[in-house]
Amino acid sequence: TQLAASGDSDSIKVFVRVRPLTQGTGLTTDGDQSLCLTVTSPNTIRLLSKPEPRTFTYDHVADMDTSQDAVFSSVAKNIVESCMNGYNGTIFAYGQTGSGKTFTMLGPSELDNFTDELRGVIPRSFEYLFFLINREVERSGQSKSFLCKCSFIEIYNEQIYDLLDTASASLFLRENIKKGVFVEGAVEKFVNSAAEAYQVLSMGWRNRRVASTSMNRESSRSHAVFTMTLESKESINEVVNIRMSQLNLVDLAGSERQKDTHTEGSRLKEASSINRSLMCLGQVIMALVDVSNGKNRHICYRDSKLTFLLRDSLGGNAKTYIIANVHPGSKCFGETLSTLQFAQRAKLIKNKAVINEDTQGNVR
Amino acid sequence: MASLSSDEWRAICDKFTNAQNLTEVESRNDPENDPFRSKYKARELLREIYCSLKSFEVSEGEEDGGGESGDPRPSEQPVDGQREDGFGQGFSGDSPAGLRAAKLGAVEYYLGVNHVDTEELSAGQEHLMNCMKLLGRCSVSSENVSLFIHVRNQLGILWAGRDETETAQGFLETAESIYQHYMKEDGSPPTDMTEYFTTEEKLLTHQERTKRFELAYTHTMYYLAQVYKNLGQTERAATYCHSTLQRQLQLNQFNPMEWALNAATLSQYYITKGRYMEGRHCLSAATVISGLAGEVPSEAAAQESETENERREQLRQKRAEIARCWIKYCLNLLQDAKKLLEDNIGELDTDRQDELKRARRGEEEEEEKGRKSALLFGSEDTFDSIASLEEKVRCLFPLDFTEARAVFLVGQNYVTQAKEYFQMDGYVTDHIEILQDHSALFRALAFFEEDLERRCKMHKRRVDMLEPICTDLNAQYYLMIRRQLMFELAETYSEMMDLKLTLANRQADTQSLDSHTIKKFNHLCSASAKYFQMFLDSLCSPEGKVPEHLEEEVLRPALVARFRVARLHSRLISSSPSVQLDNLNRSLENYKYVVQYCETHPEAATTVETELELSKEMVGLLPLKINRLKARMAANN
Repeated sequence: TQLAASGDSDSIKVFVRVRPLTQGTGLTTDGDQSLCLTVTSPNTIRLLSKPEPRTFTYDHVADMDTSQDAVFSSVAKNIVESCMNGYNGTIFAYGQTGSGKTFTMLGPSELDNFTDELRGVIPRSFEYLFFLINREVERSGQSKSFLCKCSFIEIYNEQIYDLLDTASASLFLRENIKKGVFVEGAVEKFVNSAAEAYQVLSMGWRNRRVASTSMNRESSRSHAVFTMTLESKESINEVVNIRMSQLNLVDLAGSERQKDTHTEGSRLKEASSINRSLMCLGQVIMALVDVSNGKNRHICYRDSKLTFLLRDSLGGNAKTYIIANVHPGSKCFGETLSTLQFAQRAKLIKNKAVINEDTQGNVR
Repeated sequence: MASLSSDEWRAICDKFTNAQNLTEVESRNDPENDPFRSKYKARELLREIYCSLKSFEVSEGEEDGGGESGDPRPSEQPVDGQREDGFGQGFSGDSPAGLRAAKLGAVEYYLGVNHVDTEELSAGQEHLMNCMKLLGRCSVSSENVSLFIHVRNQLGILWAGRDETETAQGFLETAESIYQHYMKEDGSPPTDMTEYFTTEEKLLTHQERTKRFELAYTHTMYYLAQVYKNLGQTERAATYCHSTLQRQLQLNQFNPMEWALNAATLSQYYITKGRYMEGRHCLSAATVISGLAGEVPSEAAAQESETENERREQLRQKRAEIARCWIKYCLNLLQDAKKLLEDNIGELDTDRQDELKRARRGEEEEEEKGRKSALLFGSEDTFDSIASLEEKVRCLFPLDFTEARAVFLVGQNYVTQAKEYFQMDGYVTDHIEILQDHSALFRALAFFEEDLERRCKMHKRRVDMLEPICTDLNAQYYLMIRRQLMFELAETYSEMMDLKLTLANRQADTQSLDSHTIKKFNHLCSASAKYFQMFLDSLCSPEGKVPEHLEEEVLRPALVARFRVARLHSRLISSSPSVQLDNLNRSLENYKYVVQYCETHPEAATTVETELELSKEMVGLLPLKINRLKARMAANN
């Protein structure tokens, strides 16, 4: 509570959601009736580890019976409001496959009927965003106008694919002095309503499925990034104020697939006998250079595509929420522990939100 | 092979080939829901081979057992890592009994690896230890040395994965000493483990044997590098990374661009340790080896084909990365030399300079000696090219302007190269980082410049390259970079202001400055204050509110900026008393902020000790000055 009370801190916020036990879903966690954790308060969770149980504290912990609406209210409402005011916002979903990421973000399945009570954070964010837009336009008496476009990409094996244009080859990340980091050539669709935005999303989501089966890439190993760019224009006395903001909705690869990137500690990188190459020597050396910091050095190995694209959301100037989904079954103990640890590390990343206000068309 | 018919032997060999194929090739196509299908099949085959070997050769084994009944196991199994010379116990490695042990050991080895691959670690460990036991009875020979090393490599990986790094270290270090011992005593191309199960006509050539054996040892080096890294022994780890690279080069087992990038990264380790000779060597090798990757395809060729386009992109990017490592080399060399030569007010200490120049002669000899004992890269073909590239820049600290300029020019040349790829449009962050380095190169060079007018011009160059970017950058996406730029610009202007004042004072020799100089001085002073203020504004909330609590990473810069703004305002020259009064008030206000912030946040005081002390003093003194000025103004009215 103390952390939450300190109020307006811009650090990344973490929301942990515990899904109900699974039954008849065909998942390996089916029928596992014993629990490995308990929610002890609205912001603490106790993991029944041995020899001592461990308690983790987050900005919010949601138990199995928390409604979709409640999740939206605590996580996304504030971020959507900030987007209206010119901030960038990002919501990440993280967790083991089967821990309820898709349910939290989208809902039970890709229903086009998004009035369903079980619809997830994303459709609710769209509705709320357009509700706010319409209200704002009305209030301003048409002096304010909004432009909304969406893009949807997937990062698999460090390659970027456009989910709105499956025919395109892999795309590149670029930077521009005015636009920041962007995916070059990604399709951007203009949308005028929540329904249209949701259509774009479901189309991309379907493409992701198709691509994963036909092109031999697994969706549980890929990150999907849905970006909504909001541009507002306001003319007051011949001065036009333009504000731009981005809302990123990110479905991270299943945490169990990311062992290579962070949970391993002492494991040795092995030489692959197939191409006889010592692939990871560079990473070993890099670790040596990083230890002796403070000096001016250059590291030749680049950020991963995902962290580069979302650099702004991780320690940059944006409002960021991470939803960590966990499965309560005791079989998932290891994965749950690593998800909770990841979420705790994420809390250490500081954010600083800043408004972007470009003044154009000054009085001549 | 007396007790085994050639047909039976052939069957065993076929099984082995089959098992290898299942493990290495087919397993890659195993379905997601049955990931180890091929490996389990391979395991069955290996078990069958084991049984056949055991039953067919048992009589032979007893004959050669040297009278020992049953299991001729040495009483104490030598434990790896304890460095007792365990070679040459039991029977000699090339005796029939020794060969039988090696073959059985090899099957145990493959079974061990198979179990580890299928995530049955303890079973895997058991098989690998069985292999160790079988080998423990034999002396090292060209027939089994490869197995000796391979099994230890695997055990090293296994134990490191269990967080028992010291155990892993023991196995790997023993593998290392076995290799060295073998190469010293024998050195003939050793049998590869796969040859135990091949028919005569399929035996490997000497060259192929050597290649495989050396590769196994290269892996030992590579794993040791990681083990030492995990143990926190960075220097040792670096040495093993270096050896791994050197072996790859010598044995011609490398991809040029990958190798070059690794060597360039290693150079960054050395320069952060102040070891410029090694750093330069790695960088020269990186440049030369990256050249082996071939010419960059032309733009026209890249437009024609996708693969050429990708190749062009890759080569250009990686060479630009290496250039950036070179920039850091030059920059650090200059900066370290500066640190060595500066007196307590940051100016060139000429006594120290003379002293170092006298000591230089000895150092040059030292360098020659050091070079001979250091690890060097290069195969016969590349060695000369690497050496000649090294000669283009010194690795000793530059001691005067001429020497510093030579280093600077090399660095600047790499800045141009790096910028060719990392252009502003497309690579904003990288491009700016390169510009920041360029600016830092100028800054370090300016230290060596004795002519203050020219020194000022160097700082002007820094302003010219950074100022337009700072203005153009989108503040929403590049907040951090902009803050760095603002701070640097503020400091550069301030430095120029000091230089102008020193120059003016030298010429005029009195306090009476001409109006042109005053104008210039005030301009530089305000520009500096402006950028400090911009930095401070970037910390404010969207509503323009100054934060009550400064985040740790901006605490010091924010307080320093306040302090500097205060000083700058008190230095502005004006003949108008009301302007003077305004300036002094703004100055006081900022000094007060520093003092008050440290009062409400006592933890901040330690980070700005000197600034705080001076601020306190000024908060005491300035009001007197302000009051005197006010009194004078009142009297004049």
